[in-house]
Amino acid sequence: MQFFENHHKEFVMTAKGLLFDVTRCALCGACWLADKERNELPIPDGDFTGDRLSDTTFLAIERHGARGVRHSCMHCVQPTCASVCPVAALEKTSIGAVVYHQERCIGCRYCVVACPFCIPKYEWSKQLPYVRKCDFCYSRIVAGESPACAAACPTGALLYGERSALLHIAHERIAAGNGTYVDRVYGEYEVGGTSLLILTDIPLEELGYPTNLPGTPMPSLTWEALVNVPRVVLLGGAILTGLWWLTKRREEVHAARKEQQ
Amino acid sequence: MKRRLSIGWLFLVTVLAAGLYSMAVRVFKGLGASTHLSDQFPWGLWVGFDVLCGVALAAGAFTLSGAVYILHLDRYKPLVRAAIMTGFIGYLAAIVGLLFDLGHPYRIWHPLIMWNPHSVMFEISWCVTLYTTVLAVEFSAFVFERLRMTFAARAALAITVPLVILGIILSTLHQSSLGSLFLIVPSKLHPLWYSPWLPIFFFASALAIGCGMVIVESFLSSKAFNMELEVDILSSLGRVLVVVLGVYGLARVIDLTDRGVWYLVAVPGFERCMFLAEILLAPIGAMVLMMMPNARKNRLGLFMGGLMTVAGFILNRFNVSMTGLVRASGTKYVPSWMEISVTLTLVVVAVALFAVAARTLRIFPDAKPCLEEGQTCKDKPSCCLVTPAKLWILAIWVAVGMLIVNAVRDFAAYQPAAVQHEAVQRGPASYPVLPKTLTFTPSADSPGPVSFSHETHHALGACADCHAGRFSILPRGTHSGAGRDMHAPERCGMCHDGKAVSNECTACHAVP
Repeated sequence: MQFFENHHKEFVMTAKGLLFDVTRCALCGACWLADKERNELPIPDGDFTGDRLSDTTFLAIERHGARGVRHSCMHCVQPTCASVCPVAALEKTSIGAVVYHQERCIGCRYCVVACPFCIPKYEWSKQLPYVRKCDFCYSRIVAGESPACAAACPTGALLYGERSALLHIAHERIAAGNGTYVDRVYGEYEVGGTSLLILTDIPLEELGYPTNLPGTPMPSLTWEALVNVPRVVLLGGAILTGLWWLTKRREEVHAARKEQQ
Repeated sequence: MKRRLSIGWLFLVTVLAAGLYSMAVRVFKGLGASTHLSDQFPWGLWVGFDVLCGVALAAGAFTLSGAVYILHLDRYKPLVRAAIMTGFIGYLAAIVGLLFDLGHPYRIWHPLIMWNPHSVMFEISWCVTLYTTVLAVEFSAFVFERLRMTFAARAALAITVPLVILGIILSTLHQSSLGSLFLIVPSKLHPLWYSPWLPIFFFASALAIGCGMVIVESFLSSKAFNMELEVDILSSLGRVLVVVLGVYGLARVIDLTDRGVWYLVAVPGFERCMFLAEILLAPIGAMVLMMMPNARKNRLGLFMGGLMTVAGFILNRFNVSMTGLVRASGTKYVPSWMEISVTLTLVVVAVALFAVAARTLRIFPDAKPCLEEGQTCKDKPSCCLVTPAKLWILAIWVAVGMLIVNAVRDFAAYQPAAVQHEAVQRGPASYPVLPKTLTFTPSADSPGPVSFSHETHHALGACADCHAGRFSILPRGTHSGAGRDMHAPERCGMCHDGKAVSNECTACHAVP
C-alpha cells in the first residue's frame, strides 16, 4: 500500500475539503442552483428538494423535516472509483478533487458498481454515454476560487477550505454544541476519509448516507489481490516449467528402461 | 424427426432475428433503450453471463492443455483439441458480448494504452487480450494442419509448451480476477457471496467448469455428429472433478463458517434459494455423482456430472454478479428481452461455430455404439446407469427446480426498500423555500414596527448578497435585530442608504 500511503500524506498536506453542517442549512437551494449553473445542467421545475442525483444533477439537497442534507460526490481521500477504473479516466488530483477524463472512458461502469456512496451516474439514454458527477469545481479551485456551491451558500452551512482545518472546526462545533450534534464527523474515517465532511444533529442512520462502510480505504481490498500478480507470474512460470521438465524426464527414463528390457 | 427439426429451426431463426434487432437497438439507441440497467444496477446479464460465464466456460482449454503438455498426461490428448477450440470460441463470445455492454465499444483497446495498475479490470483486460492471442495461435495449428500448410502448423506447434505455460499463468490471473472484481463491494454484495476468498473461489470453480464443460461438449458432440465418446478418459476427468469440487466445497464451508453467516440460510428470501440451488448443483450434486463408480463410467452419468458442474457455476456467477447485489441496490433488476435475445444469439452463434469447426477440423474420432449387436446391460454394465445414480440425478434436478421456482416467487414478491426517510416531507413547488416575513420588535424611539419580507428582497439579488456576511442565518422565525442599530451601513443601511435604495422611514417602518 506504499503508493496509497505516499499519496495520502501529500493529500493531507494540500487538499481542500467541504464541511457541510446540517444544522445550518436553511434549505434555500442556492448551492443546488449554483451547481446547475456552473455545470450548465437543465433546471427542472418544482421543488428542488425532490431532485435526486442523476446524470443531470450532481448535487442534491434532500429534505429532512426543516433540515436539508446534501448529497454529492464525497471526493474520497483514496477514491474507489479512481482505483477501479481500467483506463484511469477518474483521477484524484492533489487539491482533493476527483475529476473525470471522459476522452479515456470505455464505458465499463465499474466505477458506478464500485462507488460506496453510489455517486457516479451514467447517461443511459445516450448512444455514447459518459459518467457524470460533481468535479469539486476543479477549474474554479485551480483558479483560486471556491466551489460554486460553497460560494453560493448564504448561511455558512457549507464551508470550503483545507480538509484538516475543516475537521478542526467540525470538532470544535461538536464540543461547543453540548450534545446538539451527533458526536462524529461523517467522512472523517469512512472508507479512509472523504473531502466532503458532514456534521449533523440527525442520527446518521436517518441521513441517507451508508453507515456500513469500513474505516479503511476501499482500494486496498482489490490491491491485496493484485499484489499477487507478479508472484503468480514468477512462481507459476517456475513451477510449470519444472513440472514440464520433470514429467518429460520421467517419460524419457521410462522409455529408456523399456528399451533395455 | 423432420417435425422436431423444423421446430428447432423456427426457434433458431426467431432467436437470431430478435438478437439482431436488439443488437441494432443497442448500437443505435444506446444501453437505456435496450437494457433494464440503471445507476442502481449498472451490470446485468451481459456482464453476468456473456463475460463472467463465457470466460469461465472456456477454462477447459488451459486445464487440459496443462494436463497434456505440462504434466504429460497423454491420456487426455484426444480431448485437448476440442477444449482449445471451445476456449477460443468462448473468449471470442465473451469479447463480443463485452462490446455490446461497453458504453464506448470502439475504445475497447484503451486499457492496453492507458494504464491503471491498481484496477482489477485493467489486469483482466491485459490477460484476456494476451490469452485470446495465445488461444488463437494454438487454434491456428489445427487450421494450418487442415489446409496442409505443414510448415506453418509445425511452427505453431513448436512453441506449444511456452504458449501453454503462458496460457496457464494468464488464466490463473484473470479467472481469479473476475472474482476480485467484486472484492470492492463489501457493503453491497450479500454476505452469502461476499468473501475475501472470491478470487480463489472463481479460480477453483473455473478449473471445475473446464473439466465439466469438456465432458458436456464431448457428450453433445458425440450425440450430434455420431462420434465416439472417450468414456475412459472422461471418467478420469470425472475423478479430477471430484477432487476439485471437494477442495472448492471445503473452502466455501470454511469461509462461510469463518465469517459466521450460515444463519443467512435460514433467512427467507430469494438469496437463500439461489444459494442453495447453486451449492446443490456444484459442488454437492456433481461431486457425489462423480464419486459413484458406475455413474462415472457411464455416458449419461458423466454428462449429468458435467452438466451439474456447469449449471451450478453459471448460477454462482449469476448470484455473485446479480442476485447478491439486488438488496443493496434499492431496485429490482430483471434483464430486458433484448438483453436476453442478444445473449441467446451469442450462445447460438458460438455453438454453431463449434459445430462447424468440429466437423471440418475433425477434432473427434468416429463413433462406435456403446452396446454392440446382441449385448445387453449385463454384458457391459458401464453402458447403463444404476438406480441410485438415477435417483440422485433426479433428486438434485427436482430440488434445484423447486428452489429456483421459490426464488422467482420470492423475488416477485420482493419490494425494494425505498430510499426514502420517515422525516422527508415535500415542500411547495418552488425554490428557494423562503422564510416567512419577519417582524422586528420596535424599540422605544421607533416610528413603527419593521417587517422584513424575504420575498421582496430575494427578487433584488442572490441570498449571498446579505447572508451570511452581514446577516447570519438563524432558526426560522427568529432574528438578531433586537438591541442593534439596524440603520448602520453593515446592516440594513448597506442598501438602504438613500442612494441605491430609499432610506425614507416609511419605506420600512409601518408608521401608524
